[in-house]
Amino acid sequence: MKRKITISIIISILALLFAVALGSVYISPMDILRIIGSKLFKSQLPEAFSDTNISIIWNLRLPRTLVAFVVGGMISVSGAVMQSVLKNPLASSYTLGVSAGASLGAGFAILFGFSLPLIGGFSLPVMGFIFGLGTILLGISFAGRLDKGFENNTIILTGMVISLFVNAMVTLMSAIEREHMQRLIYWQMGSFSAQDWKNLFILLPIAAVGILLVFHYNRELDMLTFGEEQAKTMGVNTKLVKWILLIAAAALTGSAISFAGVIGFVDLVAPHVVRKIFGSSHRYVIPMSALLGGVFMVICDLVSRTVIPNQEIPVGAVTALIGAPFFAYIFFSKRE
Amino acid sequence: MKKIIVRFLLVVLLIACTGCGSNDVKAPEADVKPDETQEADSDTAEDTTDGLTDDAANDEMASGENTVAADLTTDRQGNEITLPEQIERVMVAGPSNAEILVGLGYADKIAAADVYSGNVEGLNSDIPMFDMTAPDVEKILQLEPDVIFVTGMVQATGEDLYKPFKDAGVCVIYIPSSNSIASIEEDIRYIASVMGDVSKSDAIIQEMSEEINAIKAVGETITDKKKVYFEIAAAPNMYSFGDGVFLNEMIEIIGAENILKSEEKWITAADEAVVAGNPDVILTSVNYIDNPVDEIKGRAGWDAITAVKDDAVYYIDTDASNNPSQNIVKALKEMAKAIYPDKY
Repeated sequence: MKRKITISIIISILALLFAVALGSVYISPMDILRIIGSKLFKSQLPEAFSDTNISIIWNLRLPRTLVAFVVGGMISVSGAVMQSVLKNPLASSYTLGVSAGASLGAGFAILFGFSLPLIGGFSLPVMGFIFGLGTILLGISFAGRLDKGFENNTIILTGMVISLFVNAMVTLMSAIEREHMQRLIYWQMGSFSAQDWKNLFILLPIAAVGILLVFHYNRELDMLTFGEEQAKTMGVNTKLVKWILLIAAAALTGSAISFAGVIGFVDLVAPHVVRKIFGSSHRYVIPMSALLGGVFMVICDLVSRTVIPNQEIPVGAVTALIGAPFFAYIFFSKRE
Repeated sequence: MKKIIVRFLLVVLLIACTGCGSNDVKAPEADVKPDETQEADSDTAEDTTDGLTDDAANDEMASGENTVAADLTTDRQGNEITLPEQIERVMVAGPSNAEILVGLGYADKIAAADVYSGNVEGLNSDIPMFDMTAPDVEKILQLEPDVIFVTGMVQATGEDLYKPFKDAGVCVIYIPSSNSIASIEEDIRYIASVMGDVSKSDAIIQEMSEEINAIKAVGETITDKKKVYFEIAAAPNMYSFGDGVFLNEMIEIIGAENILKSEEKWITAADEAVVAGNPDVILTSVNYIDNPVDEIKGRAGWDAITAVKDDAVYYIDTDASNNPSQNIVKALKEMAKAIYPDKY
């Protein structure tokens, strides 16, 4: 196990280095190290370094790669939790409506120019987060009312019904405000372009708190995967734990996608790969999902910005291109 | 067994759901949609004008002589059409077509237009407006249009949205979005021919050519070309263009250089490429956010770009620059003044 973890960490570091080293513009690895070094230690760079190259590394590539890493980690942990808590290999925050809700919030901000007081520039992510989380909470509490036992299937079904309902509202809104619709669609496609350090510093504490909280419940997560009855007999307050974990997972995805747009499939793929490699104990599943999910996202982002020179393709398309076949694989192997 | 069925249904539902979530429905944008079929179509359309080089075509138009009516057995896309004998009522889908019709003096014949054409100056404000990607067939047929001019961009969905009109016997004419100035002039000539008087296009095309040539004359004298980046959509999906787009042609006429000129057609630019390209001037035709110029200046890392340092970021009229019609001349002048304020 130790060896597997060490290898994963090495692969992750390599992937991060690659992501910073490669881009539309070639800058030699030595120069990149010197640029980063000078920024970290506030030393002066020789004149030969152009402003634009420094900016590309320090203001574009580095924050972008790190935001991709954090976002990937957040949504993968979220996916792992959803799959385990709901005992459904295909469950995710998205199926419970976080993306529909976030799109609705983003729709208000983009289509109707709704802006929050004090935080004007951050209206879009904040609205996305509030509506994304709100939609899931609505679904879960609805399920709790409908079904005293708080059954997984009830949660998933109510989540999906509400998700479809909210999606319909987004469609309706777009139909009314066609002029701004393209921007909403761009937002929904997801992108790590134009991320800056500020976004990273907002996301990082949320990620840390959320992932640590989930990790704190790793034993309960293990027990829940054995079955709720068994978990109950082992002394787990299943209803409370499920509530806490679902909300934490929703908040992780909600805040991640509010900055990067709706990026699917990573949350589905990464936890399954992690379980295959590291087993299903959540002591490993949670941190390794964060690590490998982050790396997977960094690689997808790298592909999205380098596969065609000087151009970008939506990262959501890249994750889905890799994620979709995997999705089918899980689906068909389950049927046997 | 029942349990298995329930699970199976759940899985199917889940897949259906995630499927919905990730479907990227392409939205209609301004009149400058990059669309494979459309590009192919406009290529074939341009083929019909083969034999005339751009300049030759220009000269011919400019001289105002030998104005030949366009071939009216097909539309600009190559579909066979049968024109009605008299054209009294026209429906128009696509602001470039509306601008051309208004420019030709046919504003009063436009009986209905799409909502994007709502901004076109000179259009009667009381005509019904409709959604060009979902036209209200019943309502429009009731207006009894003789012809319908449709921009090629509505075909992005792959299906012929205007087939119901064809079936009802209305002459539907597709005009693919033009990618060159010569092709825009050809569109104008074609639409004038359809409307029954090709000579009406002479004045417009001549005026266009004169103004363009005046700017070209100055542009040709500029040796130290400024580097320009022109943005159609704001971050994070910075939509721009390379070679093979009329806007690229316009930048060259002004005597400047598009930093993305090595690319083809419409692209989503990578921010690194823009920063590395280090443009001297940044132009934006974005009008869907409050202050596109400040948004560009405020982007992380863009402060290293010369244009941002020199405060050379300018807004160019959205409709004039995005709709391929005679109004591009207005955008051309704005662009020229923005790039070389001391020369134009």
